[in-house]
Amino acid sequence: MAQLTGETVKKIAREVFDYKITDHDAHSVANTDGAMLTLVRHLGALPLSGIGPAFSYANLNAEAAHLNARKA
Amino acid sequence: MASNEILDLDVAALAEHLRAKKISPVEVTQVYLDRIARVDEKIHSYITVTSGDALAAAKKAEGEITAGNWRGTFHGVPVGLKDLLYTKGVLTTAGSKILADFRPDFDATAWARLKAQGAVMLGKLNLHEFAYGITSSNPHWGVCRNPYGLDRIPGGSSGGSAAAIVARTAPATIGTDTGGSIRIPASLCGCVGLKPTWSRVSRYGVVPLAYTMDHVGPITRTVRDAALMLNVIAGHDPNDSTSSREAVPDYTATLNAGVRGMRIGVIRELTDGLSDDVAKSFKAAMKQLTDLGASVDEVSIPTLATANVINSIATFTEALDYHEEWMRTRPDDYGTDVRRLLESGMAITGVAYVRAQRARAKVLADALAAMEKHDVLAAPGSAISAPKIGEGRLVGDGEPRVDVVDKILRFTAPFDCTGQPALAIPTGLGGDGLPLSMQIIGRPFDEPSVLRVSSAYEEARGALPPPSI
Repeated sequence: MAQLTGETVKKIAREVFDYKITDHDAHSVANTDGAMLTLVRHLGALPLSGIGPAFSYANLNAEAAHLNARKA
Repeated sequence: MASNEILDLDVAALAEHLRAKKISPVEVTQVYLDRIARVDEKIHSYITVTSGDALAAAKKAEGEITAGNWRGTFHGVPVGLKDLLYTKGVLTTAGSKILADFRPDFDATAWARLKAQGAVMLGKLNLHEFAYGITSSNPHWGVCRNPYGLDRIPGGSSGGSAAAIVARTAPATIGTDTGGSIRIPASLCGCVGLKPTWSRVSRYGVVPLAYTMDHVGPITRTVRDAALMLNVIAGHDPNDSTSSREAVPDYTATLNAGVRGMRIGVIRELTDGLSDDVAKSFKAAMKQLTDLGASVDEVSIPTLATANVINSIATFTEALDYHEEWMRTRPDDYGTDVRRLLESGMAITGVAYVRAQRARAKVLADALAAMEKHDVLAAPGSAISAPKIGEGRLVGDGEPRVDVVDKILRFTAPFDCTGQPALAIPTGLGGDGLPLSMQIIGRPFDEPSVLRVSSAYEEARGALPPPSI
């Protein structure tokens, strides 16, 4: 289990996101995200060697073209 | 034609009558506006009703049809749009306080395509705030209610879109689906909801929840109506670089082909934990499909539960990307539950996000392997009928009495993760008088098989008793 505490969540929220989170919410987020991060570790056991995230280069090119079109 | 007879017509029938000039778009639109005025205060399916614009558009359509310029199925047909589709000059709130005054200066592509065919927008439909939740108990714009039980949720996030279909405050609507937001309300309200293949319908001009999981699709009374709407809204859009260039077939072409010889795989991992009503109804639906000539057996997708984790990680992270600035500057303008979900994105690591995205391929690979000898897959739409309002809250005072992840989301979210087409269709009413449903799931871009099986089942099932609102 990822050892995420309410205090850590509060710190991340404040220092990374400039966001003030209540003690109650921070505790709840620590439970949710701690469980999620632990489950994600288990994903490492899947046979994903050589498998990349499905973000395509065609998509990257198209988004770049959009940005340039907006400038023009 | 009497008002109730007009309200009884589905899109396919409405289109025939309009084309033949047996009824006029103005007459149809007025009947729907009257119906909204009469019943919508009970269910809150609408956030904005665009009466004046609707009648003007209907009048224009009437002139065109009368002059012999019929543009297609949706010409003169009223529709409702989930209030996160951009509509030029018309309030688009996403069910939020933050966008309470937002009037886009362009139309979402899905709406633009319907509008180009002459569809008439009745208004913008209620939803869970920013599409982030499944109750549609909206703290800013009113609690949307299930027409089959006003103390029940309609599901969400496209709750207004499904409630409007069943309450007959719109003949066809558009919803969006990131974890089940088209299929869950369709299941709980008793109508048809089609989440097409990811990228099949442009997401341009749709307020995002999670970029890599968002789908746009029809919510309708019948399978044929869903096919008719998909015919119009599907296809590549240069404004959405992720939209597919795959050819768009006529989705109605094989609706009447029957299921004889088709192979249907029931997903084993989604057959446990069902209420007695859902289990009985799903079994009866499979028997009906068998009687129609399909073969039905069980398949396994071993990584299916993983898909829920992937969906959550991607949604937590991508949603926070969109909302980060408002979370910093206007946190109190969010409802409690949505704010908590957005906070949940803050401690998810980049490594977790990338690994979740990589693992999607494995889940899809397993789903496709399960389909090797099957044309479509089948599963219940949810494990239960619609919970009472307040029962399934994700956050708030005390614990929820219904675990919405276990009972509802785990049935739908996997197919947002894999991007496969999935259609929710009612299988009857339970002992509590509430709708029950199943999903038919296909290979990527094989909406025709999904629609074909669903249509055959729908015809054999017959009409559901309407709600008494």
